Formats: sequence, structure tokens, C-alpha cells
Amino acid sequence: MSAGTHAPAGTEAARTALARRYGRLLLAYPRDYRRRHGPELLATLLETSEPGRALPSWTESAGLVRGGLRTRATVAARGSPWRDGLHLGVLVVASANLALLLPYARSMPLWVGLSAAVVLAVLLGRVRLAIPLVALVGAKAVAVALGRPFLDQTLLPIFPDEIWGGPALYSEGGAVTPAVAYAAVLAGLLVIAADDAPLNRRSWLWWALVPLIAGTDPAQPDLGAGSPRTMTRIGLELALLLLAAWAGHVAGDPRWALAAGMYLLTQMAAVAENLSTFTRQDLAHFALLAFLTLVAAAVPYRTRTQPQF
Amino acid sequence: MVGGMAKKPPTLSEPAYFILAALLDGPLHGHAIIGRTLELSEQRVKLPVGTLYGALDRLAAGGLIAVEREEVVDGRPRRYFRLTDEGRGLVTAEALRMQQAASVVTSRVLGTGSAFA
Repeated sequence: MSAGTHAPAGTEAARTALARRYGRLLLAYPRDYRRRHGPELLATLLETSEPGRALPSWTESAGLVRGGLRTRATVAARGSPWRDGLHLGVLVVASANLALLLPYARSMPLWVGLSAAVVLAVLLGRVRLAIPLVALVGAKAVAVALGRPFLDQTLLPIFPDEIWGGPALYSEGGAVTPAVAYAAVLAGLLVIAADDAPLNRRSWLWWALVPLIAGTDPAQPDLGAGSPRTMTRIGLELALLLLAAWAGHVAGDPRWALAAGMYLLTQMAAVAENLSTFTRQDLAHFALLAFLTLVAAAVPYRTRTQPQF
Repeated sequence: MVGGMAKKPPTLSEPAYFILAALLDGPLHGHAIIGRTLELSEQRVKLPVGTLYGALDRLAAGGLIAVEREEVVDGRPRRYFRLTDEGRGLVTAEALRMQQAASVVTSRVLGTGSAFA
């Protein structure tokens, strides 16, 4: 075996390791894109790498992650932006509604289960199945907020399970906020159901968002206290809104802004209902959400009127 | 409605400009575009692979380049990209625009004359 025709074993091993690591970074791209162009990208990555390198460079890694996310946004921006954006918004608010009930799962397992069924039906694009379910869970949520019985006997107040902690369900604030949150989902589903065209199936990763929201003061974030849970909630909101603005900028598409707008609507209801007890921090928080939603709505317009390659 | 808005002429980012410039001499595959871009920019613009293919996808979607052919060389798939007439026109217009803009300064500093007619 001559050194001129065969690479040294160490170089070959490094190249194999590099190919494996670049393969992992290529997971940033959508599956279909990877199937069609993954081998070509990998070949180019290996061709441009210096011999003996086993770890991807920071520049190439960042380029692949950015390129993958950008491709995902572009691929996701197919079909009607209005209907798909509404579907996404319904999923966000339905997930937030489930997250709010999740800490009370032991006390009201049936309703938490039905709320999870709403999220599952929305995820799968089974809109007509989700409509009666969300109406039922919404009516129960409003009944609990009003302190009235509805269908089954629920002992009030409902305290959260030990691992979650926090106040009793709907003990802070009134019935308007939950009513608007469920009405928004119901109205969105009714509009979507007016068209028979199939909806995009959403990623199962959405389930991961539910316990994340549930662990971050989903009912009444206490901004004045600035607890780690509340700060995590604000961080999560800002990250998702910035992602929506970025995706709208990349794809020149308003669907993410529409979804952000639906979430903002539920926050507006909370502001309106609790205006008398709102602090400056609460208003600043809402103003920030509204500003980022407006940015998310404006950037697709700018991308469309001034395209940049 | 976003579809009916009046569009301004598209602008070119630096990577897109150099990719189009690299294709002026004929069709090239991804790796060759990176090499040619590096050469044209005097080693200044080194396109990461993710950035290159993202730009190629956008330029192809915008009709500025097209896939000329696909080949498999030593088991490695390759797409060769070529410039379309629209792409050639845009990169030429961008080069003239930059030349005119540069002449505003160079005509005064170096006394080379303005590129504006």
C-alpha cells in the first residue's frame, strides 16, 4: 500500500468522523431537502475541508445551521399563508391553554385529557374533531373561572399538583381571559374548517412546548417579583416572536405574524381584564409583545417589496 | 394583500454578487463556485457551504441562475449552475451601479473622472 494512492489511516478516520459530524449538522435542513441535496452538500463540505480535520469549523457549522433554518422557513411558507398562519396560531393558543391546565391534571384529569386531545387534533389537522372538544373544554374553563358547576362535580378551588406549585386555577383574574383564549381557538378552527383543503401536519416537537409553558407561570406571570420562572416565560415569548419575525423576513411570508397576532390577542384580553392591577412592568411586557408582533407583521412586507438575493 | 405590492428592483448581497460573477465564464458546480469566488475576491470572500447553497437556492428560485446539468463524479453528486439572461443583466447592472458609486470618490481622490454619464 503506497502513501501516494491511499490516505494514512489517521487521515481517513478523521475524514469519516468529519463526515459523520457534518451529517449531524445537516439535520438542520428539512428531511426532503436532505434526501435530495444532502449528499451533494456533504461532498462539497468534505472537498473544502483541509486534510486531517475531524471537527467541523465554526464558520461551516454556523452556515449549515443558518442555511438549514432558512430552508425550513422557506419550505414552510408554501400554500395559503392565511389559513396556515391561522392553523399555527390556533396550535400556539391551544398549547398555551393546555399548559395552563396541566399543573391541575390530578384534580381534573378528564379536562386536561380533553385539552390534550384538542392539541392532538390540531396537530394532525383534524379541525372538525377539535371544534366540539375545544367548545367543551372552553365552557368548563369559563365555568371554573366563574365558580359555577358544569357537567361534572369539580371541587373549587382547584390547587395545582405538588411538582408545579402556584395558585389555584383561575384564582387570579376573571373569566374574560380564558373565554377569549378558548373563543380565539374556536373561531380560528371554524374559519379553517370552512375550506376542505388538507392542512399541514405539525411537528410532534410542539408537545415539548406544553410542559415548558406550564413551568413558566402560564396564568399570571408576576413580573414585579422577577422569579426565574417568569423570566423564563418572557425569554420563551421573546425567542418565539423573534423567530416568527426572522422566518417572516426570510420567507417574505406573513403566516408567523398571524400566529403571533393570535397569541397577542389572548394577552390583550388579560391586559383588559386586569388593567386596574397592572404594574408598569406588566404594561412594558405587553408593549414589548405588541412591538415584536408588529415587527413580525412588517418584515414580510419589506422582504416582498425589496427582495434581496 | 402581499401579492399585489409594487416591487423595487432586487438587491444583491455580497455572496450573491460574487456567485453570479463566478458564473459569468460558464457553468460551475458548488465546490468550483467557492474556489472561483475566493479567486475573484482575492481570497476575501470564502463562502461557507451552507451559505453558498442557500444563496444558490434563492438565486435559482428568482430565475437568476438555473441548473445546467447533474453529474456524479467519484460517487459525489454535483449540480452545475449557469447564469440566466436575467442573472447576467442584474449582476452587470449591479457592477455598473457600484462603479458609478465608486467613481464619486475616486474621481476626487485619484482624479480618475466620474463614471456618471
